[in-house]
Amino acid sequence: MRASTTSHKLYKALFVTLLLAAALVYLAPLYVMLTTSFKGIEEIRNGNILALPDALNTSAWSKAWSSACTGGDCYGLAPYFWNSMRIVLPAVLISTVIGALNGYVLSQWQFRGSNFLFGALLFGCFIPFQVILLPMAMLLAWLGLANTVTGLVLVHVIYGVAFTTLFFRNYYVGIPTELVRAARLDGAGFFAIFRHVFLPLSSPIIVVSVIWQFTQIWNDFLFGVVYSGPGTQPITVALNNLVNTTMGGKEYNVDMAAAVIAALPTLVVYLVAGKYFVRGLTAGAVKG
Amino acid sequence: MGSIKIQQLTKSFGDTEVLKGIDLDIKDGEFLILVGPSGCGKSTLMNSIAGLEDVTSGDILIDGNNVTDLSPKERDIAMVFQSYALYPTMSVSRNISFGLEMRKVPKAEIEKTVADVSQLLQIEHLLDRKPSALSGGQRQRVAMGRALARNPRVFLFDEPLSNLDAKLRVEMRTEIKKLHKRLGTTIVYVTHDQVEAMTLADRIAVMKDGQVQQFGTPYEIYNNPANRFVADFMGSPPMNFIECVVLDDKLVIESQGEKFELHIKHGERLKDAGVETVILGIRPEMITEPKPHVAGALVHSLSMQVDVTEPMGPDTIAFGQWNGTEIQARLSPEAGVEAQLTGLIKVQVDTSKAVLFDAFSGARIDA
Repeated sequence: MRASTTSHKLYKALFVTLLLAAALVYLAPLYVMLTTSFKGIEEIRNGNILALPDALNTSAWSKAWSSACTGGDCYGLAPYFWNSMRIVLPAVLISTVIGALNGYVLSQWQFRGSNFLFGALLFGCFIPFQVILLPMAMLLAWLGLANTVTGLVLVHVIYGVAFTTLFFRNYYVGIPTELVRAARLDGAGFFAIFRHVFLPLSSPIIVVSVIWQFTQIWNDFLFGVVYSGPGTQPITVALNNLVNTTMGGKEYNVDMAAAVIAALPTLVVYLVAGKYFVRGLTAGAVKG
Repeated sequence: MGSIKIQQLTKSFGDTEVLKGIDLDIKDGEFLILVGPSGCGKSTLMNSIAGLEDVTSGDILIDGNNVTDLSPKERDIAMVFQSYALYPTMSVSRNISFGLEMRKVPKAEIEKTVADVSQLLQIEHLLDRKPSALSGGQRQRVAMGRALARNPRVFLFDEPLSNLDAKLRVEMRTEIKKLHKRLGTTIVYVTHDQVEAMTLADRIAVMKDGQVQQFGTPYEIYNNPANRFVADFMGSPPMNFIECVVLDDKLVIESQGEKFELHIKHGERLKDAGVETVILGIRPEMITEPKPHVAGALVHSLSMQVDVTEPMGPDTIAFGQWNGTEIQARLSPEAGVEAQLTGLIKVQVDTSKAVLFDAFSGARIDA
């Protein structure tokens, strides 16, 4: 009895140490980014990469935000940050709404061939971005949406619907069909049932869908670089341009601040809704 | 108002025919029970009446109007589901009022209905709760409240008591019967529990393999079963089925090496049938210890070797063997004790209510 509790404690200590070590490895780059972004350029050149900054120097942050050069223009990341918002918000919203409706139909209103349709939609999850670059470019040109925010929203919605449909379908499959039947007898129609019965049950999976889509679209570089034009580039493209534009010496502090700014919104979304994310994912997974 | 007429109803899922030509005539205000083993098509029939399932052919008429192609919404039917299917995010009161809300009933009227219904079902104190905070019996009441609130022409109950514990089930059974008496609305009730069927029904439709085997009052079903399946399904403990050799207009039963001849009603029909053996169907309560018998009884005295006894309280079931078949007799508790002690008893067999089945087809041959 005694021996077993001792070894149990030992295991636990080992376990916690391992976890801490892993967390440290993951957090180290973030630490370096943050400390570097608050240092002056001289301090970076002469000091230790792991050392804390001598003083909180925020000049790199303001430069990254409003005056750093991204290629020819020198307006910082700010305009591109808002470009990204203009792309991400509608794309997340639309793909989540469509995914919810798709999932509702595919789980509760099955029709001949609905399982095949679901399979075909799932296939969309496995198509690499690179494969569709050219055909999509042609489609956007044909639609007159090349180099526009609307075009980028469209691309992200199309790609996102495969995932959001999967999320919502697997979540709704766990809701008993008898609820739909009861509501139909109560006189509710297709949309009334969705609104009054399904939507109020959906918050965990909506959170999953929003986080997933927000992260995917915000972090996207490939579509952003290919389908955007001057004035519609998302922040990831701008960050790349900022880092690759050098005038004189390399400003690591500005680069680091810019990178943190670009990553900030996804971090915020995770922190705000993260606990629902895990809960929603597992709920969907278990019931699906 | 709520008579239902079902004519030649069939339903197939792919190649499987689930309903094979159902004909039922349900009177307004009647309590009809659909009973049968699982997979007999009773739930499919109920869903067809509700409009939740499209039928393959045939017609469903409610109050003379053909509703076969109408949506559930337009049929004016309310249903209580086996799982209750309460809306999990809505309060009890909104669960009850949702159907009225969807039908655009004025708010004041909705409030009055919710108050009336919750009072009737004694769930007033639960109105603000969510279904997850209710016990099984309370959920059951709310599900019934939701159905009642709409004041429909027909109520459908799909095995509503099967998720309750035994005691509560009996309570709710009585309550449903009282409710029906009070409201007088037509009820179609699906169950696989033959006790529920016997106790609740005005009429019972016994189903098997997508066909109605018999449609009649509980008395008819119990005492005059159409075939061996119905006789076997209804009644607990079940009817005894004893294969007997026919001797003119009598049946022979062998017990402990001794042969007994049993007279039966309509013995002459047995001769006409010209069969060598038949299945004698006799309920356990017709095999008892010797006791004064009622007028019209056809009593015989037989010996019975008792293997096991099962005291039920009001009576004791004794298991023995006649003609190589296990049989059950229903003894008084005192006779049961004696049977347990001696192992061999004299029993009185009353064949006045016995029925005869064809040994192969299971069809009645004396009716």
